[in-house]
Amino acid sequence: MRDQRYVEIFNLVKAYPNPFGEAVKVVDGFNLTIQKGEVIGVIGHSGCGKSTVLTMLAGLNDISDGGIIVDRREIDGPGPDRAVVFQSPCLLPWMTAYQNVMLGVRKCYPHASKQQRRVITEYSLSAVGLADSMHKHPRELSGGMQQRVGIARAIALKPKVLLLDEPFGRLDSLTRMELQDVILKILDREKITTMMITHDPDEAVFMCDRICMMTNGPRARVGEVMTIDFPRPRDREAILETDKFYAYRGRLLQFLDDCEAEKHGGGPIRFNPGASEEKQSATV
Amino acid sequence: MKFKILKAIDVAGLQMLDPVVRLFYGETPREQLRKIVLFIVIPVLTIILSVLLWSYLAPRHTTKAGEVPTPGVVLDAARGIQQFHTWENQKADDFLLTGEARQNALAAVDTRIAELTPLSVAAAASVEEAKATQQAYREKYATPLEAEYKQLRNDLKAKEDSQEEALIAEADTLGVNDVAARQAYLKKVAAFDAMEEANKETLRAFKDKIDAVYSEKFPVLEAAQTTYNTIEAELQYLSKRRDYLTADNQELKIASAQIELKELETGFLSATTGKETFKAAERMLKKQESIDRIATSEYSRPWTFPRQIWRSLACVFLGFFIATAIAIPLGIFCGLSRVFMAALTPFIALFKPVSPIVWLPIIFIIVGGFISDPDVSMFHPAFLSSAITVALCSLWPTLVNTALGVASVDKDHINVARVLRLGLVSRLFKIVLPSALPLIFAGLRISLGVGWMVLIAAELLSSSEGIGKFTWDMFNNGSSESFAQMFVVVFVVGIVGLVLDRIMIVFQRLVSFDGAPTAL
Repeated sequence: MRDQRYVEIFNLVKAYPNPFGEAVKVVDGFNLTIQKGEVIGVIGHSGCGKSTVLTMLAGLNDISDGGIIVDRREIDGPGPDRAVVFQSPCLLPWMTAYQNVMLGVRKCYPHASKQQRRVITEYSLSAVGLADSMHKHPRELSGGMQQRVGIARAIALKPKVLLLDEPFGRLDSLTRMELQDVILKILDREKITTMMITHDPDEAVFMCDRICMMTNGPRARVGEVMTIDFPRPRDREAILETDKFYAYRGRLLQFLDDCEAEKHGGGPIRFNPGASEEKQSATV
Repeated sequence: MKFKILKAIDVAGLQMLDPVVRLFYGETPREQLRKIVLFIVIPVLTIILSVLLWSYLAPRHTTKAGEVPTPGVVLDAARGIQQFHTWENQKADDFLLTGEARQNALAAVDTRIAELTPLSVAAAASVEEAKATQQAYREKYATPLEAEYKQLRNDLKAKEDSQEEALIAEADTLGVNDVAARQAYLKKVAAFDAMEEANKETLRAFKDKIDAVYSEKFPVLEAAQTTYNTIEAELQYLSKRRDYLTADNQELKIASAQIELKELETGFLSATTGKETFKAAERMLKKQESIDRIATSEYSRPWTFPRQIWRSLACVFLGFFIATAIAIPLGIFCGLSRVFMAALTPFIALFKPVSPIVWLPIIFIIVGGFISDPDVSMFHPAFLSSAITVALCSLWPTLVNTALGVASVDKDHINVARVLRLGLVSRLFKIVLPSALPLIFAGLRISLGVGWMVLIAAELLSSSEGIGKFTWDMFNNGSSESFAQMFVVVFVVGIVGLVLDRIMIVFQRLVSFDGAPTAL
């Protein structure tokens, strides 16, 4: 049971005051349960509140109503148990890649010896393929490499939940594919519970166990949750050859199209009959 | 190698040398030559042009303190300042020389004196000669003019006297209460006064002609006089040196005093009566004391300009250090806490525009209250109050920049700190300060520039030894030479300020993770 409901987001609301002092609910009644070790994707149109949900889960954004429970504890503010990889790498430019990772390691392993910390740092940097350039400053690294450091910093914390906020959004498609493989490999090995925000259906289908589709904001919530039934570890080429891949992808695109259409008054969203419980609670 | 040099040039802020290095390595010669023209040739041309303009304009404006000095005169003044400095240093060394070194120095001085003496005599002779020529010229041109002037003056005087008499005589004939006649008479007197005025003017014009002859320049005489003065100055300096190598030398002074002490000692030992013994003992102890004093004494060097520059630098750095020690912590607090910022904003706004001239007297009085005896305190009160004035005027840019830098740390970096749950101290030292450092250093750079500017005024007011006091002394001195020396001060202050600024740029670039492209 505990592992089944490792992360529980219930009735999450984020409201901002508009200039007239009224509260505008950007996210309203967001419900989601994540199993331990699961990779869940959140997809939706830009501006629908995906990032708001993620930053609330990270603790960087105040929660207006509802709650988030991680490993049986309600979260209160940010913490290293929920590591975030942002869209931009957010490295500290005055530190080398090694020092950037070490900053977190030192904080998370206060009782470890110097030697142990060094091993952890070097291990996580090697895991993202930066063994050779760990003592370079961020400005000497390419965008993709900087993002790798960001990932290394996050996984070095051994987080309960890894939060990826469009981590490949600013990368070219070749680098993006490389990094997707890097992350998948790490996730397969470490079995970290992950929430990933993306607006790329291919990426979502390829990487996630379940995909949570959000309706358009304001008052965005979970529209539907789709289970992706590919075995792990995943092989890109093998997956691309299956029909299932295209079925999943087609469903995602249909949902996103419907969201857009609904916004312009083009008709209701077609929900999948086999949708999960979140959908039902969301439509209540 | 090439890129190492280029990098060093870049960090040192000497970007103008960049094309020279590139050209040396044969990289795109056309482009590099264009840059050399732009960054080196044009500035040099402007400098040459302005120096030419200066030498043209300066002699055309005469002031109470003599002519405005030309570049050449200023250069001579600079050399004079430097020579004074080396001579004083030499004398100080001479005072402490001992044994063979003293003998050798003395021999050298004597040789030089022997060399110069005949030259001095010759120079004096040529001055006399030139003076005689001048005298002859004056006699030839001025004497006839003077005679003419006397004649003219007498003539005019006689004319005036006769007219005055005539007018008085006419006045006798005027009827009492004859208004018309008296009005006419009044007009005549007015005409007479006007004539008197005109005569005076004529005489003055004539006098100016004579003065022109007297003030006619004699370059030969001037040159001879300069040569003679130079030689005389050196001779005087050498004779002073001679004194310090002989009678006034520390070692010799002690030796002679020691002999006297010996005599006193024998007197003391052989004294018979109680009173005599007591007196002899006292004399002996006094002598011993004076020997000790001589042994620890130094040649009392005057404040030469180069020493004053160093003193000014020490003062500006002390002030700058105080300012930094206050401004950076305060700035960090302001940047971290809105409450602190709100509390300090009125003070910053109020005190930032206050001029050093206002601060100094106040600080001078306050500091004076703490230091009762200037001779025993570590800092001279004038020095300390100048430094504090510098600090008070220069801390604002650092304070404001630090607050800004700390307050405007990248939100992403703050988020990193929040996710990692860094404590206040490590958040401050790992995230906030490194990211604020470039702005802090930009502020420090402005502060040092302001401080250097303020310092000169502060020293001038407080009479703290330094460049400011030198300028003020020169102004009060008022000779034509000191006028040129003030010009030297302008360049020295400018160059020192430039160097300080460059040093700060280097620091700023070293701490900037983004290479500080704006620091020019």
